[in-house]
Amino acid sequence: MSAIALKTRGVVRYACLTLFAIPWILVPFWLLIVNSLKTQGDASVLSMSWPEHWSAGANYHTVIDKGSYLTGLRNSALLAVPTILAVLLLGSMAAWAYARSDSRALRFAYYTSALSIVLPPAIIPTIYVLTQLGLNGSRLGYMLVIAGTRLGVVIFLATGFVRTLPHDFEEAAQLDGANKWQIYWRIVLPVLTPVLFTGAVMLIISVWNDFYFALFLLRGSQSATLPLTLYSFASSSTHGVSWNLVFAHVVLTSLPLVLVYLVLQRRVLAGLTEGGVTG
Amino acid sequence: MTSSLHDASPTAAVPVGQPAPDDRPLAANRPRRRLHPYAFALPSIALVLVFFVLPFLANAFFAFVQWTGYSDTITWTGLTNFKLLNQLGILKHAITVTAVYAITAMAVQNTVGLALATALQRSNRVNSLFRSLFFIPVLISPLAAGYIWAAVLNAHGPLNAFLSAVLPGEFHYAWLGHDTTALLAVASIDAWKLSGLITLVYIAGLNRIPEQLLQAATLDGAGAVRRFWSVKLPLLAPAVTFNVVVSLVGAFSALDVVFSTTAGGPGDATTLLNVAVYTQYGQSFFGTASALGFVVTLMVIVTAVPLMSWLRRREVPM
Repeated sequence: MSAIALKTRGVVRYACLTLFAIPWILVPFWLLIVNSLKTQGDASVLSMSWPEHWSAGANYHTVIDKGSYLTGLRNSALLAVPTILAVLLLGSMAAWAYARSDSRALRFAYYTSALSIVLPPAIIPTIYVLTQLGLNGSRLGYMLVIAGTRLGVVIFLATGFVRTLPHDFEEAAQLDGANKWQIYWRIVLPVLTPVLFTGAVMLIISVWNDFYFALFLLRGSQSATLPLTLYSFASSSTHGVSWNLVFAHVVLTSLPLVLVYLVLQRRVLAGLTEGGVTG
Repeated sequence: MTSSLHDASPTAAVPVGQPAPDDRPLAANRPRRRLHPYAFALPSIALVLVFFVLPFLANAFFAFVQWTGYSDTITWTGLTNFKLLNQLGILKHAITVTAVYAITAMAVQNTVGLALATALQRSNRVNSLFRSLFFIPVLISPLAAGYIWAAVLNAHGPLNAFLSAVLPGEFHYAWLGHDTTALLAVASIDAWKLSGLITLVYIAGLNRIPEQLLQAATLDGAGAVRRFWSVKLPLLAPAVTFNVVVSLVGAFSALDVVFSTTAGGPGDATTLLNVAVYTQYGQSFFGTASALGFVVTLMVIVTAVPLMSWLRRREVPM
């Protein structure tokens, strides 16, 4: 094929991609951001135009003041960060055991964990179990349920990865007198870093944005996470009718992950592409 | 390496009639000293058991009991919950709505994901930029996605403004206000949020296709379209299997986007099974809520198992 034909095709391809990106990405996000800066009246017509009357300060102040944004941010961080770290730690520990064992019981436990990725969680019986444990409506109960239902992803990714590794290093460390914990911490965990990064990205996206479990399992505005504060703000009769305020809350709620993504985007995309989600 | 050689032919290395040096049979027979870190799996097993497996199994019981917030007793009532939900017109409707929603969401995100992956497969600077751009919706919550698209699809929103500009007449169609368009729109919003992720899985799949196969096809005179349908797509089957199953099964238990767009309406046009679960739960009807949740599980199993084996059979070994 001639160079000119190749070049023409490249130009056509990028033109098509840009044409697709306009309604798919640019219009929705532009509409969101520009209207979050307008007054309630101007935003009510949902136009794409530049703000005539600016109300950015007032809008964002209302969200922070009346939208429990900071409470939501704190709760999301307090719930998501320890849960994700625990899932990564416990999941990779289990993955090591599953990958290195011939035991039937462990193989069964591994398949059960892997199935939990596909099978839907049973929410009403989950509430029943939490009630029996005295954890219904509590943050700890929420964290335990998130851990129990998300461990499968990390276990699945990490077990597949450990299986491809030779036993040599672990055996050598054992001969040198290292105990199991030391072997896990010093040898297995460092090797697992790339696959755990991929797992962490998937966990952060799903746990940080979780609305479903939070809706059923968290009670009271004091423990509301960001999606819950967004929902109650947008559903309230006072603020829900104002597109400018709802949009300001959506912008602030989405901001933390988008900011992290802007810094780490290359690694995030590479991790998810090469992380071997399909195995 | 050496020990396996000795295993295979011990006599070749050791002259007949001569005792082997002391360490040799030992080294050959000694079982590899494997580590068995069983205990490391215990915390995970406990968490998965108590907070996933136990509720999952209990659901098969709770679906068939009378259990409300107005009484302390839980009594076995067989199929009563399902009969009741059927009489109320909830059961069949919610199953239909959920199925249409899931198929739409699956079709939209796989079509968009596959198209974008094909266009963006090669790694270069411009493609990286587009990949980053198309990934942004993955990061925001489905709830937020719902609010944004509710505005785009509003009677006075940009979509109608665009249609009014390019077509004769004024358009003020409430996309989320009519039964069919509301359901299709809500499912597409769900798909919009996930397409960026599906794209990456398809890119990984395309990268696994050996370059020689495509070159051979080109030499044989296959054009871009032919190469896609006859070479890339069959070899992409594992990624297709994964994406189709995961997107379909995921959409069966959707709820978020509906909460931020239509709240189940207009009427009950977008009342997915999980939305109905929440309604029943909110009225303290825990038995019927469990029954609806059990239907989601059944739909997942009934769909995923045959679909997975059917798609697997179409996979080409590489």
